[in-house]
Amino acid sequence: MSAVLELRGVGKTFAGVPALRDIHLAVGTSELVALIGPSGSGKSTLLRCCNRLTEPDGGEVVFEGSPVPAGGAELASVRRRMGMVFQAFNLYPHLNALENAALAPRRAAGLGQGEAETAAREALERVGLGDRTTAMPDELSGGQQQRVAIARALALRPRILLLDEPTSALDPELVGSVLRVIRSLKEDGVAMLIATHEIAFAREAADRIAFLADGEILECGPPAEILDRPKSERLQSFLSRL
Amino acid sequence: MRIFFDAEVLAAAWPGICSGIGVTLGLALTSIAAGVALGLVLATVRALLRGAPLRPVGGLIAAYADVFRAMPPLVLLVVLYFAAPFAGIELSGFMAAFVALGLVLGASAEEIFWAGITSVNRGQWEAALSTGLSRGEAFRRVVLPQAVRLTIPPLTNRAIATGKNTALASVVAVPEVLNQAASVQAQTASPAPLLLAAGVYVALFLPLVRIGRWLETRFHIR
Repeated sequence: MSAVLELRGVGKTFAGVPALRDIHLAVGTSELVALIGPSGSGKSTLLRCCNRLTEPDGGEVVFEGSPVPAGGAELASVRRRMGMVFQAFNLYPHLNALENAALAPRRAAGLGQGEAETAAREALERVGLGDRTTAMPDELSGGQQQRVAIARALALRPRILLLDEPTSALDPELVGSVLRVIRSLKEDGVAMLIATHEIAFAREAADRIAFLADGEILECGPPAEILDRPKSERLQSFLSRL
Repeated sequence: MRIFFDAEVLAAAWPGICSGIGVTLGLALTSIAAGVALGLVLATVRALLRGAPLRPVGGLIAAYADVFRAMPPLVLLVVLYFAAPFAGIELSGFMAAFVALGLVLGASAEEIFWAGITSVNRGQWEAALSTGLSRGEAFRRVVLPQAVRLTIPPLTNRAIATGKNTALASVVAVPEVLNQAASVQAQTASPAPLLLAAGVYVALFLPLVRIGRWLETRFHIR
């Protein structure tokens, strides 16, 4: 299986404190890799280093065989094909659902207005919100907002989705709707790297799970191996506290 | 009462004040437009250069804003009109007032736009950049529209203040409302034209004050 995204020895230090240390991780085509670990273990930083929202200070991120460029139009082009979904949704509050999803196809990918809206509408239908295209973000529930945010990433037809704790800001009864969408994307073969606290979801949906602690990947493997036969003490105590 | 509302004097003052209204409005509109545009351009430059190697430019813009917010517009006006000619810069009274009011409003407007821009959540920038929008597009389509909503109430207040400050131009012989009234007052030794001028200013700016209040409720941020 060829890797869509590969991190090779990526490191990051914030004000002298190491946040990521020598991260090696690959996500293959159609693969779903879940990042688990305690808060502050570096899951968000790892995801943000992939599209350089956070600038890694060591190692290399390789996307579809080439290093992710440092900036400019080349980086923008990579970011278009690497969708990101944030914990806090970060929808544009002044634009409705359709406009949120159509903005980047129109202004970043350079599609015409009609094509951009078609792409946005298809993406919204895919997350089950085809009937809410004109709703403003503050008229939607948290779960619906996060699905619009997923649609905003999908409208660009990305090769991989980076999801940063997509359900952590949601009321418990809304988590299911978002996880259902992520599962259906997995069935469609969308590659995903997802930081999550939903261990049950990771067990059932992930191809592989990586356990992060203090900025290091301590264990990485199939869910059964990681969750049922944890080797390190850190992972054992992390799982026992859930 | 007769002294304050001398009908003959008022009749004599009226045509001048009417032509003064045109000058007052012309000066107010041009200097407000120039000041707001200047503030928007400077705040945009400052926002787009943030974190870039050209950071000192942002510092210069901030310094301009501080200096011209500390400068009384009347002082700037007399400097431009009476002192600048010694440096070879000859400005008409109208131009001197336009430049002074525009620069002072530009400084306030820059700070207001900048405050609006910086109060937009960082996540908005990140979401826009993560979809491959350029910094310029992210600013224009995502950040600025949200910032402008926050800036409209304070900006309206500064614009009204600028409009009222056009009366300062009377000291450099711009034939606006106050200047016209004062010259009739000087000829007739009657205070009536000044009261008429005061009434005209209220009539001109009261609607703006009301619109400003309406905008404040309209754009109240939830």
